[in-house]
Amino acid sequence: MTHLEDSKIISLFYERSEQAIVELNQKYGAAVKRTAANILKNRLDAEECANDTYLGVWNTIPPQNPNPLVSYVCKIARNIAINRYHANHAEKRNSNYDLVLDELEECIPSGFDLESELEAKELTEAINRFLATLEKEDRFLFVRRYWYADSVSDLSAMTGSSANRVSVRLFRLREKLRNTLKKEGLLV
Amino acid sequence: MNRELISKAVGNIDDRFIAEAYRPVPEDASRSPERIVQMKPKRLFTLALAAAVILSLGIAAYAVWSIHTARQQELRSDLKIDENNAESYVEYQVPDTASEGVVLLSAVNDGEEERIYVNVSPVSEEELAGFPGLLHFFCTIDGTEYGGFAAPALPADLSLAGEVGIHTAVLEYAYDRDSSTLTLQCYLMTDMLEKAVEELGTESVPLSIFVAKGEEEPRCFGTIPFSPTEKQLRSFDFNHARYVDPELGKEIEILGLELTPFTAVWKVTYPEAAVFHTPEADWDAYRDYAFLEDEVCVQSQILFSNGTSFSTGGALTCPYEDGAVHLHCGWGSAINIDEVQQIVLGDLVLWEKTE
Repeated sequence: MTHLEDSKIISLFYERSEQAIVELNQKYGAAVKRTAANILKNRLDAEECANDTYLGVWNTIPPQNPNPLVSYVCKIARNIAINRYHANHAEKRNSNYDLVLDELEECIPSGFDLESELEAKELTEAINRFLATLEKEDRFLFVRRYWYADSVSDLSAMTGSSANRVSVRLFRLREKLRNTLKKEGLLV
Repeated sequence: MNRELISKAVGNIDDRFIAEAYRPVPEDASRSPERIVQMKPKRLFTLALAAAVILSLGIAAYAVWSIHTARQQELRSDLKIDENNAESYVEYQVPDTASEGVVLLSAVNDGEEERIYVNVSPVSEEELAGFPGLLHFFCTIDGTEYGGFAAPALPADLSLAGEVGIHTAVLEYAYDRDSSTLTLQCYLMTDMLEKAVEELGTESVPLSIFVAKGEEEPRCFGTIPFSPTEKQLRSFDFNHARYVDPELGKEIEILGLELTPFTAVWKVTYPEAAVFHTPEADWDAYRDYAFLEDEVCVQSQILFSNGTSFSTGGALTCPYEDGAVHLHCGWGSAINIDEVQQIVLGDLVLWEKTE
């Protein structure tokens, strides 16, 4: 089965055609559900998240004309999933996403005083600069683990490396990030 | 620390990085046009081969002859053996009659491991449903305590997502329904193999291939004689080249590189390298050198006579041996080690071919 090009799907949204949702679901539905499920670890929640995502896309295109579309859609899915995650996990910490956050906390320790949105933005920019310096494979591992929240075993399968090797690689990447943040004066 | 804001900061990274790391997940992958394009040459090749075999050997012999020979051809192509002159790759004569058990297809010594490709049968599709997860493959050298693990042989550059993705790929690329044959890649450490040869006092070792399902008793597909193959190694001496990272203000000495078509071992040293490569090492003190080690493996470029370049990628292990840190790197398909023209790290020329 072939999928419509992104620009054509966006055109359908602009025409307010409901076929836009069908095409979007066919092309990126699995990725949206996977992104949500990685964070929520709950198939039903992930399904609902996907529906909320499509609604979000419907409400924002137009006026938005995102390129690439996949990042835009997955970003909405991730944000919805994380909001739901925070609502579901007010007291308990037990999902794969907790592990991801634990690893990030270890890498961005108390020296970085994330008190405001502004500082979060500053950190985002630093991470972007850090990602730009990485080899493609390392960048893939970092983004899949800390953005898509893939498990180490899934990353192992995706890259053909053992889980242990993936863990070691991620550990080194976190250390590199930490070092970069230090060098940029963002970590005390 | 505000986990929510950290999550938000990472969540807002540049769209191009998110798009770059996007991979279609299984239910997408099975439908994507890219995948159809990928499958086509393979299907066409199999059909062409089938036609040739039917004409020359008759229909009865086709099923078995084709799967062994077809797999040999696919492996040869996937591992880029011919185009990169990987002489260490050995292909074996395969039977032309139907048989259950193990058929040795090919092997290559990558410097650290012997990668051995075999066809095993019978493996039913129902049984294979337990892979990955419940089903495990392994090999042992009879009469010794040595052995290794095995896994379905999949194309080197295939990107997979999750267990469903792996299972689908195994059925697509490593399994033949008609003959219930599964192609496996077995890994045996070369030093273990050498020890086994020494202990058994024979040139070849009896290699048995097994499948185990959960806690059940493993099932043996059969035993084949296997002789260790020669590795194809090229050593480069960098004459104690010194690389300085200006930002870290630290220097690393790059002694040399041992290159095979599938692996590389970078040899580097620096003050206290021996101390840092012990379990008790102080990570904070080692960190800068760890980055330098990574830079050597990842940033160095091997330039070939055809104008292409190659990075060995990050090291998978880094033991300290014989006065140097040995950074072991590996990859899936062969490179042509005879056609190296230059090896550089940034502006530093580590090695250059002289006429």
